[in-house]
Amino acid sequence: MQMLLRASSLSDTHAIASVLAGLARVGDIIVLAGEMGAGKTAFAQGFGRALGVTEAITSPTFTLVHSYPCPGKVTLHHADLYRLDSTTDVDELALPELAEFDGIVLVEWGDVAAAGFGDHLEVRLGRDDLDDEAEGPDDPLDEFGLDGSRLIEVQATGRSWAGRWDRVVHALEAYRC
Amino acid sequence: MLILGIESATQQVGVSIGGHEGVIATFEVARGRRHAEILTPAIEFVCRQADVELGELGCVAVDVGPGLFTGMRVGLAAGKALAQALKIPMIGISSLDLLAFPCRHTDRVVVPAIDARKGEVFWAMYRQVPGGVQQVSAPAVGPVDELVADLLARSQDALCVGDGAERYREEILEGFHCEISGPVHPSPGALVQLAHARALREEWVRPGEIEPIYLRAPDAQINWAIRESRP
Repeated sequence: MQMLLRASSLSDTHAIASVLAGLARVGDIIVLAGEMGAGKTAFAQGFGRALGVTEAITSPTFTLVHSYPCPGKVTLHHADLYRLDSTTDVDELALPELAEFDGIVLVEWGDVAAAGFGDHLEVRLGRDDLDDEAEGPDDPLDEFGLDGSRLIEVQATGRSWAGRWDRVVHALEAYRC
Repeated sequence: MLILGIESATQQVGVSIGGHEGVIATFEVARGRRHAEILTPAIEFVCRQADVELGELGCVAVDVGPGLFTGMRVGLAAGKALAQALKIPMIGISSLDLLAFPCRHTDRVVVPAIDARKGEVFWAMYRQVPGGVQQVSAPAVGPVDELVADLLARSQDALCVGDGAERYREEILEGFHCEISGPVHPSPGALVQLAHARALREEWVRPGEIEPIYLRAPDAQINWAIRESRP
């Protein structure tokens, strides 16, 4: 269960995030992968807005986990493993427990510890080489410009996503590469 | 000496006060998993109803797990803060001991099993001894199959208790004939009773020395080397 998408702007990234937010349920863990500046937090912002979070969603790098109450007794937990060094540190965040109890969990840099999460969705954001060719590499600092184009790979693991995969594919068809 | 017992290692959150006269007050909520919201008001409620001032407490006992990470954290943090402020010692007791202790009157092997999520359980085995129970196999964590294999290897009359035994009742009974009943959650009353026996022997520690028992996979370094972008 895997598909490759192209987001040609920040608003596309937000739109893709909001489609996935619409299909997410309590208990889900969604791993956000990709380098610095790839748009993991931007994805989380689009995702949270779609769930009805009105607070500003900011990067949880230094606080490890931010939790946002959403309408309907659901809590969105936004975690970041970037500062952690060992799997015990990850275990102590107890992300599967947060998901189990009326939570949806987004985990930035979560791919390094995904083996401990069980069923999950991985969203990998990366630069779009096509975009680079089109605009030329004249400004290397802008390769991850905020409004740049991104390739987004969505990959599901486990039974809980298998049942929803058809709907994921259908809803994201417009962005497929 | 009065002991405050704080139990929050499973979905239940509970508070008890007791001492040489036994347990004098208990408060438990097993629903909703709102440890952080319930615990402190529960401590205040139990103390007030039992007519105990916080200053009269001589020791704080806590359930140190294994169990829910998110639950234990609340209990340990609250217990440590209280003990530190009141300058009194602490006693930490395992959730598995707390589940086994109320079953001390059976001559069967008592097997507390706590839900560890993702199809796994924490378990240990206990046998009746005068005045209580004694652990006969060390705490373990693993898939329900492994618990069943452990029961089969021992092949003794067994009583399984705890939310893990309850949740995986069918899997366990399919593999091994035993009884599953008794307490589902560790009780704060048992915590106060067991802690009182230890307090009499002054087997307590400073708040900073209380550590949770996570009983999880061995620690490993995260392989950040694959990340060229991480400084």
